[in-house]
Amino acid sequence: MIFNSQTLPANDNVNSYAFCMDVRGEAFIQKGKMIAYYGALRFESVSAGAYDALVRQSFNSPLYANDFVVATGQGKLILGDRGNNIDSYDLEDGNLTVRSANVLGFEPSLVCQESTVPGYLTLLGTGKFLASSNGPVHFIEPPVRVDEDALLGWADMPSPSYRYDYGYMRGMFGMARSFVGGRSSGEEKQLDFTGQGAVLVQSSEMGLVGRSNLDDVIARTSSLQQNELHQLLSVIQQRLQNR
Amino acid sequence: MPEYSLINDKMLSVRIRNEEVFARRGSMIAYTGHVEFAPSSSGSEGMQGTAMRSVTGERMTLMSARGTGEVLYAFYGMHVTMISLRGETFFAESGSLLAYDGRLRSGTVFLGNQGMGGLIRGAATGSGMFTTTLEGSGELAIVSDGDAIALDVTSDRPIFADPQAYVGHRGNLRSDLVTDVGWKTFVGQSSGESYQLKFTGQGTVYIQAAERGGNR
Repeated sequence: MIFNSQTLPANDNVNSYAFCMDVRGEAFIQKGKMIAYYGALRFESVSAGAYDALVRQSFNSPLYANDFVVATGQGKLILGDRGNNIDSYDLEDGNLTVRSANVLGFEPSLVCQESTVPGYLTLLGTGKFLASSNGPVHFIEPPVRVDEDALLGWADMPSPSYRYDYGYMRGMFGMARSFVGGRSSGEEKQLDFTGQGAVLVQSSEMGLVGRSNLDDVIARTSSLQQNELHQLLSVIQQRLQNR
Repeated sequence: MPEYSLINDKMLSVRIRNEEVFARRGSMIAYTGHVEFAPSSSGSEGMQGTAMRSVTGERMTLMSARGTGEVLYAFYGMHVTMISLRGETFFAESGSLLAYDGRLRSGTVFLGNQGMGGLIRGAATGSGMFTTTLEGSGELAIVSDGDAIALDVTSDRPIFADPQAYVGHRGNLRSDLVTDVGWKTFVGQSSGESYQLKFTGQGTVYIQAAERGGNR
């Protein structure tokens, strides 16, 4: 099967790993995920300031401004993400929070904001957006506890809280009030979801390699005081020694 | 002549009757019958091609299978796509070629022939400045990360592709490396997206849904 600009699907998957957007006007896409396109498209960094009004309306996240570009014009745009599965989601006056590295693109009719959970973006409103996942996505209704690495996002419910395994907590009580030396195998801490909604889980514990977590930490250091920075430094040094 | 068939998305079967087939080294996973394997750096290109190859340094790491039987090939769970050529030339990005046989003549092409764009293209795709070509009538198999997507190019409809997602192309196409001013605005983030390959002419371009050198 050989595709051309007419036979390529419009706003649908080309295969499990590639998605074709029919761009008429503007769309936000994650930087680096374009694999090919037909037509007359232009790409501008969100942070470049060329689409000020658009960004003001739909992109409310300074932390991730460098990770997204605005595609403008008319054309068929194919997106891919390191061979990960790609799915599109339709929101109708809803909200969905997704790990930021997995948000591949969204229509400007949606509003994109930073979640209070670090490393996640919340999309609000009505429109379509694209997310990648390591393996197919599975929807689970709460109450449910999910491994952080397998979590892709959640819809229509409040932010989750952490739930620690009791044995792990007991171990922590014994230590001299330190979160520093705590060793984890990853199984003793889950995200706890309650309420009405849906939790999105990917079929693998292998998270996507995104810069978001580190970016997040670095961005937050700007609000720290001098003595707090020193404290952070000693925490990091202890961490490194314990490795 | 060798019979190619796909066992599934990721496994290729080639039946040979006293014939020879060339495949990427390390991709044979099983065989039946009487087949002998030998390393081959030249494929089916003759003396001149071999000389060209040693000069240019583009070395396909091939394994030839000769005899009568069935050979199964697979490569790191990558998707396999069959391509039939009818007197055309296929340009394969190094690393994307899985198997072919003596019906196709292989060669190397110096990307510099396509002007500066070709040179930078080699640098951008990280594959060197020489590309393997297969010419003639017959079948070949390529591998890609995810299904390979075939995209048609006509004189009035060029296509732009990410060099890292490019797998190969066939037909009479000209490739140019273009830099859009808009894309330049996010150089410095090392997204590697400041370059796009623009294909014009008549032919088919194959891409994969993953960037080579990505984190997988």
